[in-house]
Amino acid sequence: MSDADSGGARAALDRAASLMLNASVLQRVAIATASTALALLVGLVVVAAAGYDPAAFLLNVVEGAFGDRTATARTLKFTTVFVLTGIAVAVAFRAGVFNIGVQGQFVVGGFACVVAILRLAPVLPEGAVGGVALILLGTLAAVVAGGLYAAIPGALKAYADANEIITTIMLNFIAVGVVGYLVEGPLRGEGNRAPNTDRIPDYAEFPSLVFDVPDFSLVGLGVALAVVAAIAVVMARTNVGYDMVTSGHQESAATYSGVDADRTIVRTMALSGMVAGVAGAVFAIMIQGYYSDPSGIGTYGFDAIAVSLLAANNPLGVVPAGLLFGGLDSAGTHIGINSDVPVQLIDGIIGLVVLFVAAPELFRMAAERTGLGGERR
Amino acid sequence: MSVADYAARNRLRVGGAVALVALAAVAALAADVPVADVVTVGFVERSLQAATPIAIAAIGGLYAEKSGVFNIGLEGFMIFGAANAAAMMYLVGGSSPTQADLWMAIVASVGITLAYTVIFAVLLIRYKADQIVAGLAVWFVALGFGPFTAVLLWGNRNSPGLASVNDLTVPLLSGIPVVGPILFDTSPLVLLTVVLAVVAWLFLYRTRYGYWIQAAGENPEALDTAGVSVTRVRYAAVIFSGAMAGLAGAVLLAHAGSFTGTGDTMVNGRGWIGIVAYLFGNYNPLGAAAAALLFGGLDMLQIQFQTAGIDLPNRLVNLFPYVAVVVVLTVWGSTRMPDAVGESYESED
Repeated sequence: MSDADSGGARAALDRAASLMLNASVLQRVAIATASTALALLVGLVVVAAAGYDPAAFLLNVVEGAFGDRTATARTLKFTTVFVLTGIAVAVAFRAGVFNIGVQGQFVVGGFACVVAILRLAPVLPEGAVGGVALILLGTLAAVVAGGLYAAIPGALKAYADANEIITTIMLNFIAVGVVGYLVEGPLRGEGNRAPNTDRIPDYAEFPSLVFDVPDFSLVGLGVALAVVAAIAVVMARTNVGYDMVTSGHQESAATYSGVDADRTIVRTMALSGMVAGVAGAVFAIMIQGYYSDPSGIGTYGFDAIAVSLLAANNPLGVVPAGLLFGGLDSAGTHIGINSDVPVQLIDGIIGLVVLFVAAPELFRMAAERTGLGGERR
Repeated sequence: MSVADYAARNRLRVGGAVALVALAAVAALAADVPVADVVTVGFVERSLQAATPIAIAAIGGLYAEKSGVFNIGLEGFMIFGAANAAAMMYLVGGSSPTQADLWMAIVASVGITLAYTVIFAVLLIRYKADQIVAGLAVWFVALGFGPFTAVLLWGNRNSPGLASVNDLTVPLLSGIPVVGPILFDTSPLVLLTVVLAVVAWLFLYRTRYGYWIQAAGENPEALDTAGVSVTRVRYAAVIFSGAMAGLAGAVLLAHAGSFTGTGDTMVNGRGWIGIVAYLFGNYNPLGAAAAALLFGGLDMLQIQFQTAGIDLPNRLVNLFPYVAVVVVLTVWGSTRMPDAVGESYESED
């Protein structure tokens, strides 16, 4: 916790933090756009080199993302999950902690949500009231489970100096393995041939509202946007968020002004994992309706790292970045059905976006050479 | 630093490892586990085979980190290594490749991965890319393009059965009980790894270039003052680490005999475990190889448990290496990194 009386240091930190956060917004947008364009370009070259038609591929990408109502609903479905997992990553990265474990926290959270709903359903009344209660309690279970699962690597980093990049990646494998074991055996739904849990009751699912598709609901998107708003406020306007960001960027200064760095790390990871838990709950309730072997549910938690990096770890930037990746993933689904270009290419392109985002210097130098971008260094 | 020195300086580490093994033995006895059925010659052989890719990747990674660059892309380069080796073997030998095709594929795959690493190194060193983010990116790119290659070639994320490497049998020596079959009737790639580990150790601690690599990571200014280009040393170390990771992937493929591109691909975290192996081995190639053997052994336990009739769910036994990594990092997390790791270096002139 920051002391109010160390005013001078705090004012200096304020200025430093706001410089960090605001000065280069335009530049970041330019770099993100250039990275995405370059990655797509490389992708098109690969498509051409593999003997397919790059123009048709590009057309498929656009059609698959926003071609019709179904495509748009699918894009928004993926966007919802990417925004939530992306903000989970962003919370940690912004505070200087690398939470690569969002995938694991997402799985643990979603699974806890389904188990909680299945256990509580017989106790609560059926119908709308019971449904809302089940959704809220299930999400609560997901938040607690995700937060606790993320607190483990946080505590290991804070108190045992264990590199969080590697512990979180290992915990991803462990989460997928353990949940996979549970849905295969002890918690498999009765009479299920596939390794799945039972379905959650219909009344505990989101109403689909505008789009008439079973696996997307504006409620889910609303939840995602609400979480973004909440996190943006926490990070920018509260002491907790302020301590997190400053100790991420300037640990010594933060310690000087009385922030307990260790506790902040654990708290940051827990918050990040709680958001990942919400993502897991929305995925389980809105998209799946049950829980299946997590080795096959999609790598939302990994792609979220790309989402967050593209957004420069800015909570609000996660929304457009999430939309971009939602569109790409949706295009991938479309391409998988309508074209013979292997969909794995989309994952490769997402990786290339991250690679280019990591090297802003590349674009600065290119801009300098070509005289674009004027005075910028 | 000789092995005895290493053990003396790292009493806690070595003692800890011994204590862990002792504890496991006591637990096994207490739980009435048929130890003789679990620890067999075959188990040691399989563990060595499982350890080779981890050890090779770890040796490469520690060179990069010694020179001041954290190559967190090992996992990704391993995926490229495995996928490209499979692709090469198929392109040269069709669906029934010979041993010669296999060896050619390994060499070609290392060459291709080396070319990728040059781009990676330029991004890291010349364009000062964030080492963590860029390394993760390599992983993501590989997770996409590895299976992409497989689908292009075989219409499936997994390759059909290709060829795995034949055992090398040394006459006479292989007749020695226990040691014979383990060392002289085994995959030549295991022997290659042993040689690599020893040479990597000698090179790092006994040659001038080895000292330059260490200086580039510990005190780049001093190296610069001595008239050696820090940038050049780092380029060499990073490119070497990538090529080794490519070799590690190719070796993994050569033992498995086919490429698996589902899930997290057949590499399945071994690159990450490689990073932990060299941390646990305290940046010493021999220590890293020993740590890799520990993880390789854990990886192979499930087969032993099955043959010994110990009833544990497969999926949970498979998690042993990952759990071990977390435990190792927790107990020995604070390794001393080279001072200048993660910082890009700007020469004064």
